[in-house]
Amino acid sequence: MNDAIHRALLPAGLPDLLPPDAGHEAAIVERLMAAFGRSGYERVKPPLIEFESTMLSGSGQALATETFRVMDPISQSMLALRPDITLQVARIATTRLTRRPRPLRLSYGGQVVRTRGSHMRPERQFGQVGVELIGTLAPEADAEVVVLAAEALQAAGVPHLSVDLNVATLVPTLCRALNLPEEDSARLRSALDRKDAAGVAAVGGPAAALMGRLMAASGPAARAVAALSALELPEAAEADRRRLTEVVRLVKEAAPSLMLTVDLVEHRGFEYHTGLGFTFFARGTRGELGRGGRYRAGGDGRDPLSGEPSTGFTLYLDTVLRAAPGPQPTTRLFLPHGTDPGEGRRLREAGWTTVAGLEPASDAGAEARRQRCTHLLVAGEPVALD
Amino acid sequence: MTPMRQAAAGAPDAPEPLVLALPKGRILDELRPLMEAAGIHPEPAFDDPGSRALRFSTNVPGLSIIRVRSFDVATFVAFGAAHLGVAGNDVLMEFDYPEIYAPLDLKIGKCRLAVAEPATLVEGDDPTRWSHVRVATKYPEVTKRHFAARGVQAECIKLNGAMELAPTLGLCRRIVDLVSTGSTLRANGLLEIEHIADVSSRLVVNRAALKTRPDEIGGWIEKFREVIDGIQA
Repeated sequence: MNDAIHRALLPAGLPDLLPPDAGHEAAIVERLMAAFGRSGYERVKPPLIEFESTMLSGSGQALATETFRVMDPISQSMLALRPDITLQVARIATTRLTRRPRPLRLSYGGQVVRTRGSHMRPERQFGQVGVELIGTLAPEADAEVVVLAAEALQAAGVPHLSVDLNVATLVPTLCRALNLPEEDSARLRSALDRKDAAGVAAVGGPAAALMGRLMAASGPAARAVAALSALELPEAAEADRRRLTEVVRLVKEAAPSLMLTVDLVEHRGFEYHTGLGFTFFARGTRGELGRGGRYRAGGDGRDPLSGEPSTGFTLYLDTVLRAAPGPQPTTRLFLPHGTDPGEGRRLREAGWTTVAGLEPASDAGAEARRQRCTHLLVAGEPVALD
Repeated sequence: MTPMRQAAAGAPDAPEPLVLALPKGRILDELRPLMEAAGIHPEPAFDDPGSRALRFSTNVPGLSIIRVRSFDVATFVAFGAAHLGVAGNDVLMEFDYPEIYAPLDLKIGKCRLAVAEPATLVEGDDPTRWSHVRVATKYPEVTKRHFAARGVQAECIKLNGAMELAPTLGLCRRIVDLVSTGSTLRANGLLEIEHIADVSSRLVVNRAALKTRPDEIGGWIEKFREVIDGIQA
């Protein structure tokens, strides 16, 4: 039996990006990074591979099962290929940049790999770009990153953007305040994440009625905030309610036309978040464009007060690319063989993309078309080809 | 799509298309009165058994209905190809798609998911001694989870129907299937020995669709909720 692998076959979830898509992706990254830079976020570049013990400590534990590992022949330690960049940026902020004044604004862009694709993202390698805002608890910081992500995505051409705000700590806080046993509250959170009304009623016990109301109150931000303020909540949930209300107000003020929804019970994917979180969607696009929220940079993942209060977001390039308009057709100017090199330089400086003929061709127009050019240089002037 | 509808789709204030995925068969009969009460009237071809159409328009501008297998309702909704749907929690449990929300129990299509085995086997059988069972089922994931939770490894043989034949013909001794009255089981000499879950139909929505079109999709959830509450009252 011939088991040879076809040369074109790649492992599951690892595609080649071809022209024009590869160039398009790079251009989108460029635009997003430029938007972050204009708001004072400075770029950092961590390595692709790090010690497993540091990469996957603290909040990195959540990604342990999705991480590729290799043995380092030099240090004889296990190394991890990064499954996420946020963890690395938090490490940089809380180790090498401890003397930089806070709040610290950092941005990053790069590729990550994961051992498993998910239902919505079968890709095992994809690009992440994002920012981290470290060392501040101000609600203005939450609003800043939400609005920055929205502006950057709009600058990248993503239409019909929608932001869903949540407070990952609200449901656990309420469960504790209502003395729900840990096992029941885990089942309740799972039902809430699926907005499974029947499941919530079945496993919610003393919390079922309140959770039902929180679930029903989720939706457009103005309505959700009004509903939330009318609810009787245990004292412990007061901080979460104030934070959410204030951030909604600040975001509405900074970006009045941005579609904003509030989900009062969402928890999934925010297990290590310590407060206000958010998810970006675009109408008609499958899955999430990105997400972010409150965490403790340098925290140990157990003590809620270890580390520095921080927020930030990550955008997933594969989804952003599906939501953004596709690559625009480019103009390419064919320079027939023998064109003066100075002439070519002058045209490129004037903004043309040139494609040089490397050999004489009998029909320059036909050769230009074969090379997928839109224009041909005739007597020193670009002429459009039909 | 009729030419008129196409023209409407191009207009600036045209409603964006909204797709409702419904399961074929038994559930549909129970669902129709709820749809009518919620104000959704499908085009006549929907009720024409001779029609081969798979997609139907409705009286609601922009809203169309697709009719697919019950398992496929979940898949269409999970991937956002349909925005709304009706699916039993048996199907939702089997796939456990994170992108599906099930905000409303429609309280129709009620039955249960259960383990059954031949009556002749039940007498000498002690389920506490099991370490491994072989089960014929349409629900391999639910079955594996159910047995794993009590420390039993389940080897599943995936069948798409007529589960009751499997024990009779010696394919395996146990099945996991939907049971409503239990008459099919009895007719095949099977006894229900374990209850896995109560099943009913749910109104399901795609997560991203709900987040990006909250008023519209939230509005449909509300309408169906009012209908269900009206029936309860």
